[in-house]
Amino acid sequence: MARLTKLLIANRGEIALRIIRSARLFGLKTVAVYSAADAKSVHVGAADEAIAIGPPEAAKSYLDIAAIISAAKQAGADAIHPGYGFLSERPEFAQAAADAQIVFVGPRPEVMAALGNKVAARRIAVAAAVPVVPGIEAAEISAAREFGATVGYPILIKAAAGGGGRGMRVVAEAGQLETALEAAAREAAAAFGDGRIFIEKYLAHPRHIEIQILGDDHGNVIALGERDCSIQRRHQKIVEESPAPGLSEAMRAKMIDAALKLARAAHYTNAGTTEFLVEGDNFYFLEVNARLQVEHPVTEMRFGCDLVCEQLRVASGDAVSEPAAPSGAAIECRINAEDPEHDFRPATGTVLHLSVPGGPGVRFDSHLVRGAEVTPWYDGLLGKLICYGADREEARGRLVDALGEFALLGVTNNAAYLRDIIASEQFRDARLSTHFIDEFFSGWKIASGEIDAAIVAAAITAGDTQAESAAPRASNDRHSPWDSLHNFELWGSRR
Amino acid sequence: MKLTRVGDSQEIDAEVTSRDGNMVRVRIGDRELVVEFTPNADGGGILAIDGRRYPVYGARRKESIFISVGPASFEFKPAEASSRRRARGLAAAEIVAPMPGKVLKVMVRDGDLVEAGQALVVIEAMKMETTLAAESAALVKHVRVAEGDAVDHGAVLIELSPAPASSTRESAPRA
Repeated sequence: MARLTKLLIANRGEIALRIIRSARLFGLKTVAVYSAADAKSVHVGAADEAIAIGPPEAAKSYLDIAAIISAAKQAGADAIHPGYGFLSERPEFAQAAADAQIVFVGPRPEVMAALGNKVAARRIAVAAAVPVVPGIEAAEISAAREFGATVGYPILIKAAAGGGGRGMRVVAEAGQLETALEAAAREAAAAFGDGRIFIEKYLAHPRHIEIQILGDDHGNVIALGERDCSIQRRHQKIVEESPAPGLSEAMRAKMIDAALKLARAAHYTNAGTTEFLVEGDNFYFLEVNARLQVEHPVTEMRFGCDLVCEQLRVASGDAVSEPAAPSGAAIECRINAEDPEHDFRPATGTVLHLSVPGGPGVRFDSHLVRGAEVTPWYDGLLGKLICYGADREEARGRLVDALGEFALLGVTNNAAYLRDIIASEQFRDARLSTHFIDEFFSGWKIASGEIDAAIVAAAITAGDTQAESAAPRASNDRHSPWDSLHNFELWGSRR
Repeated sequence: MKLTRVGDSQEIDAEVTSRDGNMVRVRIGDRELVVEFTPNADGGGILAIDGRRYPVYGARRKESIFISVGPASFEFKPAEASSRRRARGLAAAEIVAPMPGKVLKVMVRDGDLVEAGQALVVIEAMKMETTLAAESAALVKHVRVAEGDAVDHGAVLIELSPAPASSTRESAPRA
């Protein structure tokens, strides 16, 4: 296979920036694409070239296959990295790239098609003797009722084409079934263009543990350990770690074996993740995410590797080789634009100030900069804070401190919530299950001391505009054409 | 001055009562706090209250006061601004979009009688569905949006009027 020279990154935000960095290290020229809402985003400036692909609506920009393929041709890119989300798991996108003689950094379209549909993936798992959660492929209300009556409530409704918790509903009793089916189908149709749904037994107290896999074009597949992603809100992960605390060597080996069997059965290539639910000594196949995961950095930190570079290597035709043994522990948390005190309501705004934590073992993957706009057009991931340590306690201690150093003014976010989770004795003791948030952090409020401090700071800020007019001001600096934030004042700018 | 925290209806009465160098006296309701505020080079400062030190940043933008205390983020508005919004009809007389998004589903029609908690409209923003419900029993005066409409933050989606005293639990018949 010919060596790659130029990579188009069909994504935005932190992942676009993260891919650009690795691609450059790999020796590739990079091409960013952006919607009108992202014209000033960091990833646009970070790439060697940038091409506008459409208006803010994702459907007309980051989800527009024709626009992205045409940008790739225009730039002369010979490879496309889809990142996660958007088109990353659309077989038709991988196919369109192949048709245009462009290397798609991911699995082949037919593999993606088979695994991307939860129902088809489940069939492959069953055929490979990988355990699955009892469930049915049904959209009919009568079949759903019968299934609910057989396995007992609660039951879980999912989008067959889904991911990221969208289109997913827990149904507590038979009376809620019809409404939930309807809502799930609608959300699935809107999010994935495919309203088909899948129903399965709801496990009472499972952990979510996944295996990172990497396959090449020569039939080799390797596993890069596991990640525990049990801590979720609204079925979306917010804290991920590796290794999974308390997972026995025997269980780990069994799960890795199952993931590899499944990957081989599917002729999987490039990076992917096999997700399992674990309850007691049992584990059940959930789905394969045929792409790079948001939480891949925890694996990178333990294995000392760069998964994006590995993806590029595989896409160039190289063979994978067994990794060196992992060491230490890594924990990631996702800083989202959302209000954890109000049911994680999404937030928007402008970054007025940003303090980024640092120090040994601290990594912050983010596209945030002062002045960045957080718009309602895309998901609210602002950045991922990942800490590494010789063991879990060291990683956890670093993450608590790093979150303490983090400050983001102007966009409501969940950083204080994450700090309280990571610092909690429940997390320290790894009392992990997908119900962690419901059990220990529902009704969470910011500590009263911090609220007092905020009110005091607000009173000082409010008072400042009326008083202190005699204070010296630097009159020129706020009128700089480079500064889009001249219409507000930090305290320091007047002193 | 009176402030409200965005997302919270409760008014907070807070003011700086005196300031002497870095020492600031602040009244919050009927409590008085003496704090030490030390500005930093980067525009923020350290607020010391009861022996605890908090890194804080603050900025005014439009009618909001943004504050961060360590990793915790806050948005306050002067209470006058909030009550202006209420006067414009927030007090259960209108269902407004809490943020920009797309109308996914409209569950009521003009003339429907709705109960407290009844779902009226579903909007999608940042890839999440949010269901907006009636805060109290009401009569649907006017549905201003249709499924598929894009709506801005604060857009009025549905106008409500008080439910007639004689109203039954049943909604108006649908075609």
